[in-house]
Amino acid sequence: MTALTADRAAPAVRRSRRNRLAAMLPAVVVGLPLILFVLFPLAHILGRSFSTPDGFGLANYAAMLGNERFLRITWNSFAVTLVSAAVAIVMAYAFAYAVQRSTMPLRNLFRMIAVLPLFAPSLVQAQGLVLLFGRNGLINRSFGLGIDLYGYWGIVIASVLYVFPYAFLILSAALAVADARIYESAEMLGASKWRAFRTVTLPATRYGLAAAIFVCFTLVITDFGNPMVIGGDYTVLASEVYNQVIGQANFEMGTVIGMVLLIPAAIAAMVEKRVSAKQYALISEHSRPLVPQKDRLRDLALLAVAVLISAAILSIVLVVVFASFVHLWPYRMTFSLRHYAFDVQNGIQPLWNSIYVSVMAAGIGVVAVTAAAYVIEKFPSPAARGLYFLSILPAAVPGMVLGLGYILAFNSPSNPVYAIYGTLVIIAIANVYYYHAHGFLISGTSIKQISGRFDEASATLGGSRRQTFAKVTLPLLFPTLVGIAVFFFMRSMVTLSAVIFLITPNTQVAAVSVLYLQDRGATNQAAAFSVCIIATIMAVLLAVRLLLNAMGHRNVSLIR
Amino acid sequence: MTLALSHVTKRFGNTVALDDISLTIERGEFICFLGPSGCGKTTLLRIIAGLELAEEGTVTLEDRDLSEVPARHRNFGVVFQSYSLFPNMTAARNVGYGLECRGRPRAEIEARAAEMLRIVALSDHAHKLPSQLSGGQQQRVALARALAPDPEVLLLDEPLSALDAKVRESLRLEIRDLQRRLGITTIMVTHDQEEALTMADRIVVMDTGRIAQIGTARELYDRPASRFVAEFIGRMNVLPVAGGRLAGLPLAVPQGATLIGIRPEDVRLHAGEGPPGRAILPARLTNTIYLGNLAHLVLSVEGIEHEIVAEVPGHACKAIADAPQIGLELPAETIKVLA
Ligand SMILES: Nc1ncnc2c1ncn2[C@@H]1O[C@H](COP(=O)(O)OP(=O)(O)OP(=O)(O)O)[C@@H](O)[C@H]1O
Ligand SMILES: [Mg+2]
Repeated sequence: MTALTADRAAPAVRRSRRNRLAAMLPAVVVGLPLILFVLFPLAHILGRSFSTPDGFGLANYAAMLGNERFLRITWNSFAVTLVSAAVAIVMAYAFAYAVQRSTMPLRNLFRMIAVLPLFAPSLVQAQGLVLLFGRNGLINRSFGLGIDLYGYWGIVIASVLYVFPYAFLILSAALAVADARIYESAEMLGASKWRAFRTVTLPATRYGLAAAIFVCFTLVITDFGNPMVIGGDYTVLASEVYNQVIGQANFEMGTVIGMVLLIPAAIAAMVEKRVSAKQYALISEHSRPLVPQKDRLRDLALLAVAVLISAAILSIVLVVVFASFVHLWPYRMTFSLRHYAFDVQNGIQPLWNSIYVSVMAAGIGVVAVTAAAYVIEKFPSPAARGLYFLSILPAAVPGMVLGLGYILAFNSPSNPVYAIYGTLVIIAIANVYYYHAHGFLISGTSIKQISGRFDEASATLGGSRRQTFAKVTLPLLFPTLVGIAVFFFMRSMVTLSAVIFLITPNTQVAAVSVLYLQDRGATNQAAAFSVCIIATIMAVLLAVRLLLNAMGHRNVSLIR
Repeated sequence: MTLALSHVTKRFGNTVALDDISLTIERGEFICFLGPSGCGKTTLLRIIAGLELAEEGTVTLEDRDLSEVPARHRNFGVVFQSYSLFPNMTAARNVGYGLECRGRPRAEIEARAAEMLRIVALSDHAHKLPSQLSGGQQQRVALARALAPDPEVLLLDEPLSALDAKVRESLRLEIRDLQRRLGITTIMVTHDQEEALTMADRIVVMDTGRIAQIGTARELYDRPASRFVAEFIGRMNVLPVAGGRLAGLPLAVPQGATLIGIRPEDVRLHAGEGPPGRAILPARLTNTIYLGNLAHLVLSVEGIEHEIVAEVPGHACKAIADAPQIGLELPAETIKVLA
């Protein structure tokens, strides 16, 4: 494909300087919100981390590096992250392998169980663990045991379960594509099954594996919901940011730790983007899809693994659901709906706020990422390259850091954005830009596939750019756009970290309610809130699925 | 409707895709761009369509310069190699798309689409989506779609190469027939010489970004201007000559000629020494390839490095093969001077 298309018809040599500037205009227009809502807050964080009582300097960093407590927290973070990521990857690989490459029964059911935690607030794992193994948990109460899960191992177990579905999605996509011919030649050459796995399967999924490792790493090191709930006295970097900012209103320290958090997350995100771009080149158009063959022993072993992991995932989610319906967990286990009365401060309002924010984020998010991807594809210019960078930059930014940046950047009446500061709109916007990279990459892939082939056909038939977009590109893009909207909706419903610093008493969202209630010891009510979130997401997914089916789009993946 | 290209040049980085191409196409003509892969056929077609910009040179239609006219205002119909039908539209809507973009009334669009689908014999498939049509049907819809807005010129980029042999043959006739009926100026890109020979009024043979020769199929076959054309169109024995002699035998060619060509079917073979008084070389049979009604005899001649292929009727083959001695005659009127 050539980069030049129909409507850029003025020959390059004749193109004036003004035309060149005009070609940059779309990228600049689409890039402005990204500058305002990503770069600007980040610049504020960076600036604030260097600001000391005696002007700009490295004093904050020096103070931190000389602080033994801080070094211990950093060590804690890495100890949690490396172990959780490693365990989660092994589990997710085995599970994805079982689902994609074996003939075990109920593979679709297992697939659904694996992604189930994505429908729940991001601290549901800790919530479930507390209900089961906490001081007043079911196990300790029922058997009179003294298991103490709070601390390192609690965080690790919660984190493993938290990132498992993300790793599963990536690895399952990597394992889904396979060229049967390679396996046949390995077999012809006399390779044993184990050898074929080591020499063919593992190398073929190395990019997916690397991507999954880095995603898990970023997710765990930036997660603060689970450590807050189940960490006890064990503090990690993410929870320390929260303590500094909310607990002690020490913004300088918060930003410094945020910067420390940003560096490993940014490195991991950059490597991940580089690596996942290579995944696609592995499959040529002549390859033949691999159909898993029956192998009793292997399938039985994989089934056992899948059952165990599913049991862990389900027990967490189900215990939360169960706890929301009993009178007083774990003392009076009689059925009761009293926790759904929501006789707490804001009542059920946070749930409505969440839905409102998520719908708004879905709408704004779809437009924002699609516009960015479209402009980059259609108006190539140096500005478009900058736009690409800005579009994937948020993948490197921890949610809390972005949220903190918003406080610092917009919490001043002199800033025009102050008008929406403290409203639900700014929360929706934070979610849009926090998840921008992922949505952008989905729509970019789709637009690339569509545009090359049909734009020229449309142009030669007399279609203008606008007509082509409305009549061809948009209808073909529609299922993808729905998928992206669902993605923004789901993540906005469950996220904590991007919004934790932005909520006010009037704009509290459901996931934060879960955290606060849990923190206060109102575990049953927290569970009820979680259940409401899960139910909302499932209802929306079901409705969208039915709608898409009715419109004839059956092969659209809604869970990303 | 004359379409004229003058001095069109196009580079991609360091590769010169097109080098100073000039060409005039008459109204209603069917022209084929023929050449090996990578010689610039597609690039030239895309420049004519307005999908690509020439660095130098102009494209004019009836003396109107098209350089500044974007593809969508040129009103040229294009059929792409990979159909490129819009997958979200039925066959009928695909065909009506050009008129839809021109803002014509609905009734007119529908009538025109139905008419075009009837012309390509797909009326029964009007309401199918592209994914429900066979490759040949899709390409016919693409043809109908390109023709529906009544374009000034029809451009086809290897429209048949993705289809199997049977469909390709019937579609060849169909396209040619339709083109004659509508009298539309047409340019088709192909690297299949048989396709070019059977369909085109004139063929433009291209070689690495340049025009090697322009002419009718007959002209190119009978009077190739260069070794490249001679070998690209049909088969040719290419033989070096010096001082008007080939292996010592004087030939009726200009003294300065260095390279001559003769088609296998023009080589005359004699069992035995052949009639006296004619220029005949003694030859030895090295291989025989039977093609049913015809046979290709591969011969070697003392003093000539290359083997010479002669085409003879299948029944005449045995007499020559069994002869103790073979005489090889190059009739003067069939010798083509290539350099
Ligand atoms: N967008 C491009 N960027 C760089 N080089 C290009 C581009 N398009 C074509 N070329 C080069 O220009 C030359 C001519 O290409 P073109 O596609 O016109 O060949 P073609 O005659 O149509 O070949 P084929 O029969 O294989 O389709 C080739 O060397 C090709 O590599
Ligand atoms: Mg080509």
